[in-house]
Amino acid sequence: MNKFFRLYMPFTRAGIQSTLMYSINIIFFSLSELLYCFVMYYVWLAVFDASDGQNFMGFDMQDMVLYLFMTNVTAYLTMSQADSAIAEEIKDGSIAMRLLKPVDYHISILFKDIANPIILFFMVFLPMTVCVEIYRGVTAGMIMFQPLNCLLYLLSGIIAYLVSFYLNMCFGFLAFYVTNLWGVSMFKKILLKFLSGAAIPLAFMPAALKNILAFLPFSSLSYTPVMIYMGKYTGAELLLNVGLQVFWLIALIVLCKLIWNRAIRRLCVQGG
Amino acid sequence: MIEVEHLKKEFRKVVKEPGLKGSVKSLFKPKYETVAAVDDISFHVPKGEILGFIGPNGAGKSTVIKMLTGILTPTSGSCTINGKDPAADRKRYVKEIGVVFGQRTQLWWDLPLRETYGVLKEVYSVPDEKYQKRMELLNEVLELDDFIGSPVRTLSLGQRMRADIAASLLHSPKVLFLDEPTIGLDVVVKNNIRNAIMEINRTEKTTVILTTHDISDIELLCSRIVMVDKGHKVYDGSLDALKSKYGIMRELVFQPEIAENFSEKDFIGGLKLGGEDLTVGHENGKWRVRFNSEKIPVKDMLSYTLSHIEAKDISMREADVEEIIRRLYKEGVGV
Amino acid sequence: MKRILKIYFRLLSQNIKMLMEYRIDFLTGAFSFIIDQVVGIGFIFIIFSQIPELAGYTLDQIVFIYGFSLIPKGLDHMFTDNLWSVGYFIVQKGDFDKYLTRPINPLFHIIAEKFQIDAAGELIMGIILVCISAGSAGVVFTPLSVVLLIVAIIFASLIYTSIKLGTAALAFWIKVSGQVTQVFYMTNEFAKYPTTIYSDFIRTVITYIVPFAFTGYYPCVYLFTGENPLFNIGGVVIVSSVLMMIALTIWNRGLKAYESAGS
Repeated sequence: MNKFFRLYMPFTRAGIQSTLMYSINIIFFSLSELLYCFVMYYVWLAVFDASDGQNFMGFDMQDMVLYLFMTNVTAYLTMSQADSAIAEEIKDGSIAMRLLKPVDYHISILFKDIANPIILFFMVFLPMTVCVEIYRGVTAGMIMFQPLNCLLYLLSGIIAYLVSFYLNMCFGFLAFYVTNLWGVSMFKKILLKFLSGAAIPLAFMPAALKNILAFLPFSSLSYTPVMIYMGKYTGAELLLNVGLQVFWLIALIVLCKLIWNRAIRRLCVQGG
Repeated sequence: MIEVEHLKKEFRKVVKEPGLKGSVKSLFKPKYETVAAVDDISFHVPKGEILGFIGPNGAGKSTVIKMLTGILTPTSGSCTINGKDPAADRKRYVKEIGVVFGQRTQLWWDLPLRETYGVLKEVYSVPDEKYQKRMELLNEVLELDDFIGSPVRTLSLGQRMRADIAASLLHSPKVLFLDEPTIGLDVVVKNNIRNAIMEINRTEKTTVILTTHDISDIELLCSRIVMVDKGHKVYDGSLDALKSKYGIMRELVFQPEIAENFSEKDFIGGLKLGGEDLTVGHENGKWRVRFNSEKIPVKDMLSYTLSHIEAKDISMREADVEEIIRRLYKEGVGV
Repeated sequence: MKRILKIYFRLLSQNIKMLMEYRIDFLTGAFSFIIDQVVGIGFIFIIFSQIPELAGYTLDQIVFIYGFSLIPKGLDHMFTDNLWSVGYFIVQKGDFDKYLTRPINPLFHIIAEKFQIDAAGELIMGIILVCISAGSAGVVFTPLSVVLLIVAIIFASLIYTSIKLGTAALAFWIKVSGQVTQVFYMTNEFAKYPTTIYSDFIRTVITYIVPFAFTGYYPCVYLFTGENPLFNIGGVVIVSSVLMMIALTIWNRGLKAYESAGS
């Protein structure tokens, strides 16, 4: 185990260094995402203003704010760049060099990619969560922060990141077959935003659609952890949803290996 | 044709102190430092000349070229080309020049090469008939036919460079600026490009200003060179003059038969010379003695060597341009 | 002028040819933008399944505002997308030199060089939404209102262009300014809803500082009510012209300050 980390930690370190070089980009990107959250915040204010009760389909304003900001930060936190990393290596042929190294391809990519959530956790997640909790505390007049939920959220968030990573790996392998990934990755991004419940909370969708989306792997990405943070899932429901996350993670790992084995054979046949 | 008078370009640079504290400090209260990239450079180029513009990296070559092509405005001094001031009269001026930056392409990356020429034809308002003729000529000189239908991104570096040069010549410019046109190319392509430049220069009296790090470019193309270093002009004259002025270095090459008890140290000790003036090296059993023929005449060198070593295959060589330039770079000013 | 148009169409046809090279890629891209808008509209429908009005506007009116705001956004996106590249890499990599050695205006050259077909997704969606919701939203089309609508759309597009241009030009000083453009550009999200839902501070910002309110809400108010054309439509023209002047000033100063990379 020790040896394992010693072998792969340098990948993470390199990843952190190269991500930090773009820390200005991260700050500006977070700022523009934050603008979007604020637009939605005011939309919700108006919605609650227009509806008579304190309640909108099971959410009150505080819930909404929490959902809004936490979903965005979670989606951002669990974002993986594995797809573009792989696609680039396939395109410029440097994937062949990778195969020569005595390390597992998937794990080395993972350890490099993991730098992203580590940095974002400190630069975006912590400040954002503190602000949201202060907001909650002030509006409710008491401390609303639930350490246990937060802990469970982090656990579920780690699984969410891994699901996202393997999903993006599979997607990145498309570059073996398609030369230009720009349009497709745009499509993926927008579809994911919808399917994961980042655009519209799954709870607001028609029941049939909601059930399907809740079962698909995409709800594992941000919806499940956020629901846990909000305390909407408890007991059996909590176990079920985290179990579902684990199930999809395993399924995606298997799928990823399958595609990889086929693609690698193709790579060898073509002679790289 | 080209008149450059006391040209000067200063850049303002932010001075950063090391460390995080320094970065934060320079963010709020930046300290500036003025650096003269080009300082008081003057030269004239008559019509139809090929001028080699050389100097070590960071000497200010590109900055001069960029001022001459209207990209940068001089801090002071002036350049006049065909009676026009590049920076002030940019739009009209650039119609008369062609520019190639060897490291960058001006071709449209995703489209067949032919399309780039089609666009440039409109940009430079080249009439149809003239365009046809021009393309034929460029085709002949630069052999574009093989790849004119291929997307630019699929071209090899050599093909791309030929295509880029053709693009810069499409509107029959009076002056052609080439910034490292042969960088990274193989010998065959280099020759093709050199011949093309010579051909255009000969038939159309195009004035050419070229920067390069390849000495053969200079030897084969340029009748005159201007050398800059640290923003100053350090040499301006013909290549021959440079050779006679600095070609004092000679190289004696021989294969020793019996050379016991004699080493390079003995050379240096016996002749009481060293440093730049005398160096000795071995290579494949051969000795190479480089020496300053002003400090020790060739005749004396030969007799000294032969009196100590029994040698065969003795030959004497003049220093080549590369060596002269290396020496000049090292010594800096000296003209 | 004739020459300029000729060059523009020449470059445009280059773009179309390029699109044909990567047909599937671009169609997927444009399709994605449509999906994105469909989801956005779906969200509005879900909200209105629970409430009758939002800030005093009906579903149809909100859809109209949403759709209208997409049209200038899409137009700008379609024709001036290359300005993003200025802020992200053209200046930084020193590629800007190329434009300065050509005998045409560098700004025109850069804009003409790229035609972004993806924007068709936003444009088509915007036009559809405006068409289907106009009647029930209470928009009455008279010759005057149609003319004003077109004027508003053109000048609203220029608001987008000016904001991109002014912030992209900062790259002449700071080398990379794409993120600055990104933050200002994202403010357009505020334009999709009535400005009355925002706090006074935000309303002031999006009316007078980053005036995206004029690219959606204000012109729509005129179309709904016919009220105050001087502010609601005239405001678009004035704000847009002022902003364009500022942006061009920044750009022109930037050109003078430009010191290409790797001197």
